[in-house]
Amino acid sequence: MRHADTICGALLAALGCGLIVSGAAFPAGAGGLPGAGFFPQAIGALMALLAAALLLRGLRGRSEGPFSIANMREVAVIAALLLAYLLLWGSGWFVVRTAVFLAIMLSLLGQRWIPALGYASALAVLVYLAFDAGLNVTLE
Amino acid sequence: MAEILAGLSAVLAWQVLGFLAIGVCLGAVFGALPGLTATMGVALLTPLTFWVSPEQGLAMLLGIYCGTIPSGGIPAILINVPGTPASIAASWDGYALTRKGQAGLALGINALASTTGQLTSIAFLAFLAFPIASFALRFGPAEYFGLTLLGVSLMAGVSGGHVLKGVLSGTLGLALALVGLDPMTAYPRYTFGMSEFLDGISFVPVMIGLFGLGEVLVQISDRQSVRASAAAAIGRVLPRIADAKRMARATFSGAAVGTMVGAIPAAGGDIGAVIAWEQARRTSSDGDSFGKGSLSGLAASCSACNAAIGGGMTTMLTLGIPGDAVSAILIGALLIHGIQPGPLLFANNQAFVFSIVFLMIFASLLIMVIGILGAKPLAKVLSIPAPWLWAGIIVFGTVGAYALNNAVTDVWAMYVAGVAGFLFRKTQIPLGPLVLGLILGPLMESNLRRALILSRGDWSAMLTRPILLVFLAATLLSLLWPLIRARRGAAKRSQGRIPDA
Repeated sequence: MRHADTICGALLAALGCGLIVSGAAFPAGAGGLPGAGFFPQAIGALMALLAAALLLRGLRGRSEGPFSIANMREVAVIAALLLAYLLLWGSGWFVVRTAVFLAIMLSLLGQRWIPALGYASALAVLVYLAFDAGLNVTLE
Repeated sequence: MAEILAGLSAVLAWQVLGFLAIGVCLGAVFGALPGLTATMGVALLTPLTFWVSPEQGLAMLLGIYCGTIPSGGIPAILINVPGTPASIAASWDGYALTRKGQAGLALGINALASTTGQLTSIAFLAFLAFPIASFALRFGPAEYFGLTLLGVSLMAGVSGGHVLKGVLSGTLGLALALVGLDPMTAYPRYTFGMSEFLDGISFVPVMIGLFGLGEVLVQISDRQSVRASAAAAIGRVLPRIADAKRMARATFSGAAVGTMVGAIPAAGGDIGAVIAWEQARRTSSDGDSFGKGSLSGLAASCSACNAAIGGGMTTMLTLGIPGDAVSAILIGALLIHGIQPGPLLFANNQAFVFSIVFLMIFASLLIMVIGILGAKPLAKVLSIPAPWLWAGIIVFGTVGAYALNNAVTDVWAMYVAGVAGFLFRKTQIPLGPLVLGLILGPLMESNLRRALILSRGDWSAMLTRPILLVFLAATLLSLLWPLIRARRGAAKRSQGRIPDA
């Protein structure tokens, strides 16, 4: 069994079926014209069909061992850091917040603290000047 | 002839050329930063042109337009993050060349093919404006549906060998495009009661996430291989004459496709580049190398997305119809200066039309010089320590996505797309078809349903339209081509096994 194909196939087949079912609940078209549910159902049917083929291929395929990602811990930590940065978006102190976020990220990726903080601060100021002062995009 | 000379002399003033150079340089910056688009650049700087002459103002705006699209290819080539939607196809072969240590050559081809595309489309504008524009005007909803269906059928071709996963990825893009108000009845679909989703999922943040953040996460995951490739050489910038000859056909056919697609309102360089890339792949004897660092593939996509500029300008100037958001703003700027685009412009003010033609020629030559001279310094970005580069991509991508609509939901869309892009790469699901589905889905649905309203629900009535039939035939050919190719390959192999008499 090829794990990645099997998981992707199953997830997308479920999504395709979901589109078909939800599309049926949308208002139908009048006078033979397609309604709001026509495209969701058509795309859902196509997706379910193709996903079923991928699922079968995954189930029948030769095993390539369990699905794993190298350096998964680092990727997960960076993703969590990004989530935290996003949750704090708009809470003020854009330059400071961005510089701290970037410095933490760089140090997690093995960079030394002081150069990382210097680069992160310069980058945050540059982005602020370019977008807020230059392009009138409010960054707070 | 007198009008041509008058048009030329009007733009040869140093002030006009100065504004043009400023515009091209600003356009290069806008194009190179993901999230900043040509539309944003032209819109922001239009008010500045009110205080100068029409030639000077138009020089700056055209400079931005002509500078943004070629420079959008620079981040696509160097870090696999398209600077503009039109540069998506450029990343397929451009980034592969960078990974092979040929970043300089890829940037050189981007500069040369972009200028070739722009100059070819400007030649069309100068000599064939009216026939092209009147052909484009014959496009109704049924023809637009045919064009988008052809685009969607190219999903398999841009899947890089993973056809089933590629088409699935494309259907996922089509599904994402369903989010928002139904184009005909305004019924909310998959908005989950959130007003932010009523306009649908913004395409640019998704593109930045899939290609930018997704690529950063992949590189963090594969850190050992990144360290090894960082030492790769930049290589030569200008292609050898033999390479240039080999790319010539793809470059000019890309320019022709880009001009025609660009002339059709609402169909821009993003669609044109994908169609041109796929057409070049099919007609090339070396089609298997496309997507893996093919010079012809890169040339075709760069040429086509830039040729769409001239195509769009043709429709705008001859008919007064904006082909895209940039053209709409340009029409507004022209009207403010008392110039009304349309057929009468060609009759009453030919010299001004030729001024535009010359301004575009100078802008495309200038961006070529900047592109070639800047290739080596720009490619130095690859020698920046990878984590510093990743930090730059993340912060510019995040703020670029936010800047589009000043909406934090766009940043959420970018981050979710980034994680999805990472997982897709790890499971070898191609990203190109997803983007194609997301771009073409709304166009395909709205035009099919409009066409059916016009034919009162009669599907067969659409088959009486010759342009649509041509598109349907091309779509069928596109779907059957892999089978035809496989059969031809099998036939050749079996002929090879037959011993000579």
